[in-house]
Amino acid sequence: MKIKTTRFGELEVDKKDIIEFTEGLLGFENLKKFFIVDPGDQTLILWLQSIDDAATAFPIIEPKIFQPNYMVKLLPVELNSLNLENLQNASVYTVLTIPQNVTEMSANLKAPIIINNRTKNARQIVLQDSKLEVRFKMYMDLKKYIVNFASDDSKRTNVAAPAKEQGPTVVHANMTQSQSSDKNSTPEAN
Amino acid sequence: MLVLTRKLGESIAIDDHIKIVVVQIKGKQVRLGIKAPPETKIHREEVYKAIQDQNTEAAQADLSSITNLANELNKK
Repeated sequence: MKIKTTRFGELEVDKKDIIEFTEGLLGFENLKKFFIVDPGDQTLILWLQSIDDAATAFPIIEPKIFQPNYMVKLLPVELNSLNLENLQNASVYTVLTIPQNVTEMSANLKAPIIINNRTKNARQIVLQDSKLEVRFKMYMDLKKYIVNFASDDSKRTNVAAPAKEQGPTVVHANMTQSQSSDKNSTPEAN
Repeated sequence: MLVLTRKLGESIAIDDHIKIVVVQIKGKQVRLGIKAPPETKIHREEVYKAIQDQNTEAAQADLSSITNLANELNKK
């Protein structure tokens, strides 16, 4: 199906890539259906684009990029609400604020977005851990990661190249799955 | 909204498993103790407000924000 978006124009989205937030996101309770757009730039930032509202999209990023030790611990009821037994088959993203002064950018570690890769059900879950910050400043961590990543020859083409010309692409179900089930996933995340 | 008056040390039971006790009253502050099953989520309401605000601000970013960020990240 074709979906109109303010930022990326019209995109072709496969039904199976549609992510459903039955409760919406905090402050955006009316928006239930989203999909993920990869604009293909070097920042590694993806967008959670609303289907219900063309103008609403949230910049998101995988937290392990800038916080390798970040670990999401969900309560059994929270796992159940997403039909998950553990986080093996889930994708975890944090919502980013990117102000004018980009070095002040922040990620919400307190309330990550958890997506069941199989059912495409998702929730923004407020974690109980009181040490987690809603606005975790992570510009320097991201910069460090991108500099290291760019100096790794095997991955150079992904990052050092200027923004790809092919335009934005929709992230497919199996793409997110392969990212979250790589060898770095920790058993404690279960 | 149900409104109940409680004295220091008194409590309120919600369902069979949740208990809220007035632990301390000091001027305009009330300290509450909450006993609930481990799966119960308990947060100060400000946490939800902070997350709402963060979401709202996040949604204001556009592609020029990413261009700015990419330029800044490319600086040595």
